[in-house]
Amino acid sequence: MTAPVKTDPTEAITRAKAGDALAWGELYRDYAPAIFRFCRRALPTREDAEDATMEVFMKLRDKLGQYDQSRSFSAWLYRVAANHCWDTLRRRKIRQDKETEDVDSVPLEHPDANQLDKLIEQRTSEEVRKALNKLGARARMALVMRYYSDMSYDEIADALGVRRAFVGVVLLRARHELRQALERTSALAAGGAT
Amino acid sequence: MNHLDEMTCLLYLERQLDRPRAQEVSAHAQGCAACRTLMRALERESRLLTRAMLEEDEPLPARLKEFQERAKRSLQWIWGVAFGLAATGAYALYTGYIEPWQQQLEQAGFGGTNMLSLLVFQGAFWKGWQSMITLLEATALLTLAGFGAVLFRRRIRRGTATALMLAGLCAVVALPQAVSASEFRKGHSVEVREGETIKGDIFLFADRVRIEGTVDGDVYAFSQDVGVSGHVTGDVIAFAHTLRIGGKVDGNIRAGLNTLTVTGGVSKNALIFCDYANLDSSGNIGGSITAFAENLNVDGKLGRDILIFSKHVSISGVVGGGIQAKGGTMSIGATGEVGGPVRFEGENAPEVSSGAKLASPVEYKKWEHRREYLNKNYYIWRVIWTAAFILFGLVLLMLLPKFGRETISAAEQFGAPIGLGVLVFFGVPIAAVIACITVVGLPLGILAVGIWLLMLFTAELVVGTVVGNWILGRGSSSWEIVGRMALGFVLVRIAYTFLSQVHVLALLGALGIWTWGMGAISLAFYRRFQPVIAPGSPAGPFTPPPLPPNTTVGGVQPA
Repeated sequence: MTAPVKTDPTEAITRAKAGDALAWGELYRDYAPAIFRFCRRALPTREDAEDATMEVFMKLRDKLGQYDQSRSFSAWLYRVAANHCWDTLRRRKIRQDKETEDVDSVPLEHPDANQLDKLIEQRTSEEVRKALNKLGARARMALVMRYYSDMSYDEIADALGVRRAFVGVVLLRARHELRQALERTSALAAGGAT
Repeated sequence: MNHLDEMTCLLYLERQLDRPRAQEVSAHAQGCAACRTLMRALERESRLLTRAMLEEDEPLPARLKEFQERAKRSLQWIWGVAFGLAATGAYALYTGYIEPWQQQLEQAGFGGTNMLSLLVFQGAFWKGWQSMITLLEATALLTLAGFGAVLFRRRIRRGTATALMLAGLCAVVALPQAVSASEFRKGHSVEVREGETIKGDIFLFADRVRIEGTVDGDVYAFSQDVGVSGHVTGDVIAFAHTLRIGGKVDGNIRAGLNTLTVTGGVSKNALIFCDYANLDSSGNIGGSITAFAENLNVDGKLGRDILIFSKHVSISGVVGGGIQAKGGTMSIGATGEVGGPVRFEGENAPEVSSGAKLASPVEYKKWEHRREYLNKNYYIWRVIWTAAFILFGLVLLMLLPKFGRETISAAEQFGAPIGLGVLVFFGVPIAAVIACITVVGLPLGILAVGIWLLMLFTAELVVGTVVGNWILGRGSSSWEIVGRMALGFVLVRIAYTFLSQVHVLALLGALGIWTWGMGAISLAFYRRFQPVIAPGSPAGPFTPPPLPPNTTVGGVQPA
């Protein structure tokens, strides 16, 4: 369920910490594609994702000394990337006041599983990605952190600045938004076909 | 049987329920097909999400293929050289250029705005106070557009908002005003007959155009041959081979043509781009002439000044104001009269007949045809100027490092800064002029022009830094950024030196650099001053809603 992770980076990290440029290059080559994809999913445009990837690695180069090798490098990397992306969105004011207001309105119901099945079956990945792009920044960010980089609820809560207890609410709300976006796409396609 | 709600199912699948609750849910699901189906659907949804996100749909962009380690190369030794050159340059600049210019201008009685006022307020561009109302309208439109952009920016990207705003402005500006009052005539030969009166503007498209009647408005003529023997109360704007004004024009003449002959009367000014312009002995222009012409003959009467760039100027009539001319030759005949100073800069000394009546002797400056690039001083000065600019950029970066980075980052977005740059480049001077006219706004206007000029000079440095980033990759420390700025600036200068051999390209290149750089600075300003959420709380923690009653969120416990 996590993003692709390359070979054990421990040795490269140790060498990079000691100032070995080649080791740093190895780490970059191994992790840049995954971080770029993470940023691409989280940020609105490709250019933003490119900039963010570069900036994340610049931060990493400065912070590598702080990395605790007993923990997962990729998890640490994703956390840095998530914080950076969320901060970028915040600075650009691509925030969702509406979401903040109605995040507590997730209905506690038992939805029709068949309807949900019908909605997601035969959906291509591309359709899902397009629908993802239509979500609010918080919803998209939460889904990316959870289902792309497999971040824990604690990490998501920390990155989004919400209480851990509500990460589930944010995620469920995001799924609802995604379903609505997919439904709208279907309706449009059906309308276009008639 | 009560079914599990979706939130509980999701938390169960994500292993976020505590052990007792998870066991409860598990037991329920074993006996409840509906809940099992829902869980399966939610799991499928999770898998779909993960698959969609992990799929490698886009390759890693080329610029991210390698980490820009080259950024680390130190270029600090350059600064020693640059500083030395710049100090020399600053001294040489003052003693070689600024001081002599000041003296010359003072001796010549030149104020800094004489040329501007000649062109704008006395000259051919001035249409009276009506034009100021148009300017105010334009400023009001710009303000509205600004509000529009602010409103839109939450919904669409800033670049798109800027593009929309500019497109909207262009559309509004392009809308013909009072279309119903305008008349259009097309054909092989069109005319406004004697005795006929046109109320409003008229647009004429024909091989041959004759205006023998009255036009109570402006005349726009696109033709081979245009003749005005009637009366035009507004301006005559013509693009033609030949334009003859034998009648009366109450406004201005603005024309691009081959030959202009004025035998009648023009109350205001003439702005002309032509081969041959002749103010006949019976002709009269009340205002001034601004001309880019091969030959200009003034045999008639001109109320005010002449500003001319031409091959030959001949004055045998009366010029009420002064003459500023640049070109090949100039002659003032025995019947010539000039009421103001005459300054001529050209290849040959002016021929002034002894019978000519001049307010003061002609000031002549001979053109020296030197190919600048064959002169070794040219290169020395180029280097000095370049170093001075780089030093200027260095100082700015040291003083405002964060803002400098933000500006460079803004410049790398291309679309938005260029769009905004166009607005700032043209809009700020207009707004400043309007502010100055109100007198109360004079300090504000002067301040705006000052900032505008500062941005203009800094624009090339911003573009240079972006070019440097393309070559060396982004720099993180200040010195790395300065290194990129220096490299990029030098390259931009070299490229511009070649471009400047072709004037049109030079102008386009300069405009591109100015609008891009100024737009980036403006964008950085805008981002800097827009309200932000309190630091340290990325999205502003929100008040948590109550938990679902049947959900217990606790530590991660396997089901």
